[in-house]
Amino acid sequence: MKEKKIQYVKNGKRLDGRKVDELRPIKIEAGVLSRAQGSAYVEWGQNKALAAVFGPHEALPQHIQNPKKALVNFVYRMAAFSVPDRKNPRPGRRDIEISKVCSEALEKAILVEKFPNTMIDVFVQILDSNAGTRITGLAAASVALADAGIPMKDMVSGVAVGKAGGEILTDLTKDEEDAPDAVDMPIAILPNTEEIVLLQMDGLLTTDEWKKAKELGIQGCKKVYELQKEALLKKYKNSETKQKKQKPKTKTKSKAVKK
Amino acid sequence: MDKKLVVPGETVSEERKRTGDNVIIRDGKIVSTALGLVFENDTTAGVIALEGVYIPKRGDIILGIIESEVFGGYIVDVNHSLKSFIPKKSMIKTLRKGNVISAKISEVNEVKEISVENVRVFYGGELIEAQPVKIPRMIGKNGSMLSVLKEGTGCSLMIGRNGWVWAKDGDINLLKKAIKKIEKEAHLNDLTNLIKKFLEKNKTKKVSK
Amino acid sequence: MSKEKPIWELKSEEVKKALRNGERLDGRKFDEYREIIVEKDLYKNAEGSANVSIGKTKVDAGVKLLAGEPYPDSPDQGTISVGVELSPLSSPEFKYGPPSEEAIEVSRVVDRGIREAKTIDFKKLCLKEGETVLIAFIDIYSTDHFGNLFDTSTLGAMASLLHSKIPKVEDGKVVKGEYSGKLPIDSTPLLCTFSKIDDFIVVDPSIEEEKATDARLSISVNEKGVLSAFQKGESGSFTLSEVDEMIKIALKRTKDLRKKVE
Repeated sequence: MKEKKIQYVKNGKRLDGRKVDELRPIKIEAGVLSRAQGSAYVEWGQNKALAAVFGPHEALPQHIQNPKKALVNFVYRMAAFSVPDRKNPRPGRRDIEISKVCSEALEKAILVEKFPNTMIDVFVQILDSNAGTRITGLAAASVALADAGIPMKDMVSGVAVGKAGGEILTDLTKDEEDAPDAVDMPIAILPNTEEIVLLQMDGLLTTDEWKKAKELGIQGCKKVYELQKEALLKKYKNSETKQKKQKPKTKTKSKAVKK
Repeated sequence: MDKKLVVPGETVSEERKRTGDNVIIRDGKIVSTALGLVFENDTTAGVIALEGVYIPKRGDIILGIIESEVFGGYIVDVNHSLKSFIPKKSMIKTLRKGNVISAKISEVNEVKEISVENVRVFYGGELIEAQPVKIPRMIGKNGSMLSVLKEGTGCSLMIGRNGWVWAKDGDINLLKKAIKKIEKEAHLNDLTNLIKKFLEKNKTKKVSK
Repeated sequence: MSKEKPIWELKSEEVKKALRNGERLDGRKFDEYREIIVEKDLYKNAEGSANVSIGKTKVDAGVKLLAGEPYPDSPDQGTISVGVELSPLSSPEFKYGPPSEEAIEVSRVVDRGIREAKTIDFKKLCLKEGETVLIAFIDIYSTDHFGNLFDTSTLGAMASLLHSKIPKVEDGKVVKGEYSGKLPIDSTPLLCTFSKIDDFIVVDPSIEEEKATDARLSISVNEKGVLSAFQKGESGSFTLSEVDEMIKIALKRTKDLRKKVE
């Protein structure tokens, strides 16, 4: 830890120049993979996530089948090279927990009752990371599900809000997450009804701070939703104007998301 | 293009109407459950999905591949999350693993298992995988697109609602290209004419070579 | 091997029918690769990284260089460790869990091709003899499987190694987040894989061709045209003259591949 106290917000600007409620640049592309039924690639600041959807297919072994609904199997994995130190390729407790809470978040959006006794796989691979990867993965997963044509009552959009140096901030970076008083609060909603489908928090947060964080969270989620929507519609608007088929992951400049 | 594109969760109509495909009601509004195109008339509002898996309906004609023979019947892969079963006693012909068949769905039970009838076997030819949601476009109004495809490629064709297309004879490679084109441009108007022109253009090329 | 869907058997028949007519299903010549695209330096946390596609087959590869202990029999040498994950994102046939035989074979072939070609002078990775050396971890994830993950993975590994940075070292220790330059690479071995289907031999098999394969041969060739690894797979066999013919083609095709990674 540095001895000098870091000022996380100075003249309304954060360490990386963003405003308190500003997201990092986000780029979303739908349908980047061919073998999967649906897919998406999301760049969120330095975070990069790829999502692939398979199914619904028969849930096996048979005893896990549910005659009332499809099971949603979101699997979160980090590439070994996606962190500053090499990640052990075997999934840890963190990977498993994230997979569970994200599966549950997506299940709320998917019309699971349409596919009894089946399973819908949503595989997320994190390729590069800098705080907020579960939300990046979830954003990719939701677009990939829509791209696969899995019936859903809404998208799932999320953001991590939190606290650093006493300030409530949207979309924290690793540097901000390293603050001594840091709070990390990932939140995901169904954007059209504002139902909360994922909420986690660690750190110390007063009820006043929660009110602020909650507001920033919903605001952030809705901005992410707009980008998800844009990415899905773009896939079709492109073919309409007969543009050349885009190569996935082109190095086009990411678009900054301003308030 | 006049039709509106929507994503899951977006409002399709705020009026009280009958619900068409791929929509649900939320707070009195009709909301999309799919990425697709809005269709709305005076009485109904729904969405034509642009992506999606096959959802079986009674009466649909589908294609299948015999996966294995078991006691009393055959297990059939019908490009659906659950396999189908054809009882041996329901048909005279003997089927073998790898046979391509067509069948009519006689029943979809409450857990979406499929029963079929009117089984027909297809020998030779090729099975082409297409997107199930685009199949209606490949058939067209009153089979208009199907006729265009048959005439333009010279193929014998059988289109299954479950996304599988069986073809024999004719220019199968051209057919595959046409199918890809329909999938990509399914949301465009006047698709039948586009495909007709596409087939004519590519056909003449081949002759001149 | 997972149980094959019946549709693949039908496709195998189509592959064979086309070959008998002197054609491949995708219109390629027998000795022709699909389109190759290499994108480098995509992921900041990796010392080197690449996204590589051969046709629709795609992998993401990344290199991490970490300090570790040397092997007792080579106390002054660093080493490499290659892991190929046949990721479930890339095909419904692949499952999460311990690496399959298939994944281990691909990893080992990529590893040997690079190691035996003396791609990296391992002595240059020694930090303190007998105590600390640098280990290059090369991790490769398939993201779209349409055949020939052997060549695609090797291409991914080489593309990320060739553009990898080397961490700064002070007093025999790695300084986190700082780099002293580029990882020294002495050779660029690349893999060229063939499928024998009935009596036909094709290079860079597509997934339909892989499913119809009787015998497979992968040949690793370095920039000087020297062979650095072979791997024969599947239950069929080759004649010696067939192997000679494949070596000839591999020498040509690896030259083209090399242009894409350098």
